[in-house]
Amino acid sequence: MATSSEIIRVEHVGKVFDGGITALDDCSLSISRGEVVAIIGPSGSGKSTMLRCLNLLEQPTSGKVIVDGVDITDAKINLDLHRRKMGMVFQHFNLFPNMTVKKNITLAPVHLRLKSQKEADAAATKLLERIGLADKANAYPAMLSGGQKQRIAIVRALAMEPEVMLFDEPTSALDPEMVGEVLDVMKELARSGMTMVVVTHEMGFAREVADRVIFMDSGKILEVNTPDELFDRPQNPRTKLFLSKVL
Amino acid sequence: MWWSDLFTDMSPASFFNFSFLPKYAAFFNRGIEYTLLLAIVSVALAVLPALMLALMRLSKNKLIKGLSGAYIALFRSTPLLVQLSIIYFGLFGVIRIPRYSLFGFVDLSRFIPGVVALALNSSAYVAEIFRAGILAVDAGQMEAARSLGLSKWSGMKLVVLPQAIKNVLPAIANEIVTMVKESSICSTLGMAELMFGAKNVASSTYITLAPYTLAALIYFCINYPATKAIEAIERRMRRGDKQ
Repeated sequence: MATSSEIIRVEHVGKVFDGGITALDDCSLSISRGEVVAIIGPSGSGKSTMLRCLNLLEQPTSGKVIVDGVDITDAKINLDLHRRKMGMVFQHFNLFPNMTVKKNITLAPVHLRLKSQKEADAAATKLLERIGLADKANAYPAMLSGGQKQRIAIVRALAMEPEVMLFDEPTSALDPEMVGEVLDVMKELARSGMTMVVVTHEMGFAREVADRVIFMDSGKILEVNTPDELFDRPQNPRTKLFLSKVL
Repeated sequence: MWWSDLFTDMSPASFFNFSFLPKYAAFFNRGIEYTLLLAIVSVALAVLPALMLALMRLSKNKLIKGLSGAYIALFRSTPLLVQLSIIYFGLFGVIRIPRYSLFGFVDLSRFIPGVVALALNSSAYVAEIFRAGILAVDAGQMEAARSLGLSKWSGMKLVVLPQAIKNVLPAIANEIVTMVKESSICSTLGMAELMFGAKNVASSTYITLAPYTLAALIYFCINYPATKAIEAIERRMRRGDKQ
């Protein structure tokens, strides 16, 4: 359901790492507001690098990333202001282990003076209730299961009230029985209209939730289509081969 | 004292001829206090400069990184005695410190140059401890902080450093132990620490060996339990991290 309001445009982005390895090769992409895009592909295909280029955790070596009409690869812009609009969820959660769950959630909004501690605490409570973990507000990350950690990492990003959420293999480090609880939170988020870019190995999730699926290999975007088309009638031979192995 | 008789038949060159003790114990008591003061004050003073050096070392700016690297290389690759002499005669040949006595036995005109030299030296080593501590914090922590819109400095200050500092506390305590030993070099410049006390006693009494044996025993009795305690704390911290 491509709407007309574009939020992210990636123009001919390339990334060559210091060692000379090409991770991304001339990738272009447009994402609309409210859209859920899944990026799939084999390991080392550049999908995580692609995602990390969207909030410049990875600096592209060529091309442009335009968010809300602003080229964020431009050295003159204040990147920190743009990152506030783009929440990110990591494979290994990256919760702050020396802080309580509540502190994890309220740290950035309070430090950046977007909210008072009181407002941030109230927002954190609401977010924790939404994922059924209100009782864990004062727990430390080490006391939580992987699934709980990842759900909290999601609401930590949501506490910044972002316009886009980026997910970097959010369920890959989880025990199988915890994958569902994290995917449920993501599905609920997608239904609420959040713009999401999800790098994932969960083909079922991609098919059910995504508006579009991107297949990447060897640093290139090889195929972009609706989930039904891409999964049922893949056009690129590489996509066909990949899907035949994972489905 | 009853035990004074034990030493009457001992040779002045005997390891354990402690016959000087009743008269000269104060040299050792004062020496211990002076040594501990030197070690603790100099490491305490080294901490902030060391943190700054470590952050400079991790900077992307080549000039800032190079300056810090040069400082660390200079102080780690030259002997402490040489550094101490240059600072004492050079720097404090220009800056005169009045002869003011602290607690009755710490002559500031000698103590301050000594502390400055030890602190400058120690900051190079503590900087490397901090650098390793910062690098040991998972890179994902800084990425998470940056992804929330925090600046590099805020991420460092709020997220990375608190974790790094907790990890390096045992190493910094070990640096104090090192300084308790290294500060003995200050005796060469007349600072009345433990080694200086032992030397003084040896030359006043012509008992050539035993004062040094006693000094060694005292150093050991300070540092060995301290090292063991630090190890125990480190083990407990590691257990805590795993939970």
